[in-house]
Amino acid sequence: MFLVSVGRGVILFLSSIGKLSCFLAESIVVGLMPRYHWKQIGQQAVQIGYFSLPVVGMTALFTGMAMTLQCYTGFSKITAESAIPSVVMIAMTRELGPVLTALMVAGRLGASMTAEIGTMKVTEQIDALTTLSVNSYKYLVFPRILAGTIFLPFLVLIDDIIGILGGYLVGVHYLHFNAANYIHNTISSMSTWDVTSGLIKGAVFGFIVCVMGCYHGYLSNRGAEGVGRATTNSVVSSSIMILLLDCILTFVLF
Amino acid sequence: MPYVIEVENLEHSFGKKPVLRGVSFKIRRGESYVVIGGSGSGKSVLMKCILRLIKPRAGTVKINGQDVSSLSQKAMYSTLLKCGVLYQGGALFDSLNVIDNVSFGLVYGCGMSKKTAYKTAMKNLEAVDLGPEIARVFPAELSGGMKKRVALARAIATNPDIIFFDEPTTGLDPITTGVIDNLIVRCTKEMGISALSITHDVASMKRISDTVGLIHDGKMIWEGSNRDLTTTDDPYVRQFIDGSPIGPFIRS
Ligand SMILES: Nc1ncnc2c1ncn2[C@@H]1O[C@H](COP(=O)(O)OP(=O)(O)O)[C@@H](O)[C@H]1O
Ligand SMILES: [Mg+2]
Repeated sequence: MFLVSVGRGVILFLSSIGKLSCFLAESIVVGLMPRYHWKQIGQQAVQIGYFSLPVVGMTALFTGMAMTLQCYTGFSKITAESAIPSVVMIAMTRELGPVLTALMVAGRLGASMTAEIGTMKVTEQIDALTTLSVNSYKYLVFPRILAGTIFLPFLVLIDDIIGILGGYLVGVHYLHFNAANYIHNTISSMSTWDVTSGLIKGAVFGFIVCVMGCYHGYLSNRGAEGVGRATTNSVVSSSIMILLLDCILTFVLF
Repeated sequence: MPYVIEVENLEHSFGKKPVLRGVSFKIRRGESYVVIGGSGSGKSVLMKCILRLIKPRAGTVKINGQDVSSLSQKAMYSTLLKCGVLYQGGALFDSLNVIDNVSFGLVYGCGMSKKTAYKTAMKNLEAVDLGPEIARVFPAELSGGMKKRVALARAIATNPDIIFFDEPTTGLDPITTGVIDNLIVRCTKEMGISALSITHDVASMKRISDTVGLIHDGKMIWEGSNRDLTTTDDPYVRQFIDGSPIGPFIRS
């Protein structure tokens, strides 16, 4: 009995990986063929790159500030306060920037992609696209994946800057660091690779969020309830994949 | 070739539940064929199998003599351009306004320029008795009857040979139903388009059909002309037309 249920679980897991791969392959292959839906790509780019800015900026600011305060508590015990600027910088650019941005975008955009595509699925709008001779993967999925992969790194960059700025504000105005020293410490410890690796992570996460968002939308069935369930699955699975891949990428990149 | 649609032994099931269990019928060019049957009897699934939106477990579907399962994706898209579909709920694109909805197939399917497509779309809106004032309105702001009309305009925009109507009048008041039926008759009789309609509305069935097929329990159990409807003594057809709760249909 136990073996049967394990076997069934494994088969289910493998078959969903297979389905996801087919979905992805089809979307990318048809998406790359000429006659691009520029308008769709542009709309998605604005959704991801522009309308996510407030959420991402706010998260970054508060995280940067809290991070600096916490570091101070720890580092002042071993009188290593001067390391705070560089620790905050490295934590933001390598880790917190990409991960938090991706998680916020998964909640904000991944969810809305699943809800939108799922609603289109259950109300036969996707069938309507097909019978109007438009490939729905090309029209709906590819623009989202492309925009997500390109614009999430851009959001990560903004996140890095605002996070470090948040750290600076707390460091200088609350903990009374010398402003010039703080800036000097931050800049001198900064390496291009810290930032670049964060941006690479961002691109991977953006890809994941949009793929999972669209894929779960296509899976929805049985009315509004099905769309709700698909949305939850989409956010949960992309969040887990973001954290898992972050771990893997950190091993690979450093 | 005389037949636009030939369906042979179509079978489909979802999981273990069989929905279609060997459906066969043919539609001649210019014919208006109506499929009737109870809710959940697999009428929509049948339509989607014909359009290759669902891959059936068994059986063949031919559109204009071509087996759809053997067509490449590109060839299927050009076949679909010759098919207009009015979906059960209208299936208008929520994010686009009326004129963009109606011109969608022209712009993205046929590759027409936006300007020409808008002109054609305006004519199609006029054909379903809608004025230019609703062109910029979004589907969410339309009433049920208007949605159906816009969806009909979108279905005929690409100048199809065959139109599929999935419950075009369900949920509409009798007058709007009459209007939609007239529009359908206008499409089929005046424009010479072949049609496959799905309905449970007996009055509209009588108005729009040349031939009627009754689907029950996954099979086409009765087929006859419009005139046969009144004379037949088939108990299933009689019960369906009279709407009587007692008869061979078993309600579960
Ligand atoms: N995507 C699906 N997955 C599982 N079952 C489905 C699906 N689509 C339809 N069905 C089932 O198939 C049967 C026929 O559905 P349908 O063709 O929509 O009925 P109707 O004749 O009212 O149009 C129903 O019992 C429905 O539950
Ligand atoms: Mg139906």
